[in-house]
Amino acid sequence: MSSSSASAMDWEAEYAAGVFEANTAALYRSSKSRKSRTSALALDSDNEDQDITMASASTSIRARTGPTAPILDLPQDDESPLSQLTRHWMNERHAPDILPAEEELLASLLDHIRRQSDAVQLLRGEPSASEEEHIRIMLVQMEVERVKFIVRSYVRTRLFKIEKFARFIMTDATIQTRITTAERVHASRHAHLTDHHFHNSVLQSLPETQSHLDDTPIFMPPMSSSFSSSWILTHLTVWLFFSFSFLLLFFLSLPVTKPDNSRAVFVHALRDCPPIRFQENLTLEMKRGHISLMPFSFIEQLLLRGDVELI
Amino acid sequence: MSLPQSLRSSVTPPELELVASQQLIEIIPLIAMEKTAFISGAFGPLQPPRKTKIPLWMAINLKLKKKCHIVAPEWLAVEFLQSCLDEELNQPGFSMLPFRYAEVSKVLLDIAPDDIQSTDKIRSLLKDLREARQAKSREGLDQLNRGELSLSNLCSLEINEIRPFFVHAMGILTHLHRDASTEDQL
Repeated sequence: MSSSSASAMDWEAEYAAGVFEANTAALYRSSKSRKSRTSALALDSDNEDQDITMASASTSIRARTGPTAPILDLPQDDESPLSQLTRHWMNERHAPDILPAEEELLASLLDHIRRQSDAVQLLRGEPSASEEEHIRIMLVQMEVERVKFIVRSYVRTRLFKIEKFARFIMTDATIQTRITTAERVHASRHAHLTDHHFHNSVLQSLPETQSHLDDTPIFMPPMSSSFSSSWILTHLTVWLFFSFSFLLLFFLSLPVTKPDNSRAVFVHALRDCPPIRFQENLTLEMKRGHISLMPFSFIEQLLLRGDVELI
Repeated sequence: MSLPQSLRSSVTPPELELVASQQLIEIIPLIAMEKTAFISGAFGPLQPPRKTKIPLWMAINLKLKKKCHIVAPEWLAVEFLQSCLDEELNQPGFSMLPFRYAEVSKVLLDIAPDDIQSTDKIRSLLKDLREARQAKSREGLDQLNRGELSLSNLCSLEINEIRPFFVHAMGILTHLHRDASTEDQL
């Protein structure tokens, strides 16, 4: 009995500790959680404390989100970190542009994952675990795997977009504010590598005027002019040369790819939204729960404010 | 590659199922378990005859181990689905079904058919509903323009189904408009 109640204590304390720490910066993570674990284990003696810990933990959530809520204007104050990440993951998957990074949320969830897996390791060591205890450990582990999947998919989606828009990111200052330092470093290295590769493989052997990766339209010879055979011959070689280089660049994905913000997305209003203006004096006011298909550029601001989600 | 080709244009149904499985569902546990802290919150305690709400994925897992009975959600019943189907056939709009009804009903019918009453009838109703709604969403293509298309009460799996075509079609309309307006200026 004593072993099971002790482990129960540990779970509760883990949970409480997780709540208290939800917003700590990534740097302090390891040392702080270790401290909280020792304090959690110290609580072991009295079982009565359990409910008190839970209650105080939940009030602390409210206290924490309370002052920030009006500023950030969060959609639901009681939304758990996991469902927040799920929402951001889905948004990221559907948005054509890169959305602001959720560094703090990600750090706190990664921290939580690590603490849960540590706890599982700890409990696994106990030899006298009953069947119920095994199921419990298995459920916790399964959840950890599920959360890991979401985290991974979220990060990979961002990585995909960053690699796709790498050159654009390096030239655009506003998009750089939306990505983390690590992501920016990756983008710059990726852009540099592809530049280097294009230069070595094709561009250096092109004439001076064409040997840079700019967005200038590729020259196409007019098809209806004189039809002398020499004209056709010379232009055909030029044309072939261009089409060859163009195709090569095309297959390696075009050099400066910009996010296409006019691409349509499905939006779901999380609450009543202020009216959106379309070009020709057309406005739309989305009520809570409204689902609509429209170009991303129209709802970008609402999405950043958390008024809508992409589905 | 950071993201496989198949995942780039849209979310896949298994991923939608993963999201839907975070929803809570009521179960009647057959094992006891203390209150446990999960990443998504604290769940339990499980005490055999007492109903508890836990996430769907957890319920599925316990059900597969025969450790619980799942209480079917209210909407997964013949009367409700029949009324939805009637509304679907007589009204122009989409009827009010839960946003992730398709995923949840599929999982429940696969995993826990013994906990749901008259599964055959429910299965055929769900199929009729799906077909009626699909036909409607295809008719909605008529109203597609480059601005906005309202699709209230459409469900997540249905949206995912029409997404590639609708997004592409809207992109083409935008392009056509852009080309036309630049030509006007010339």
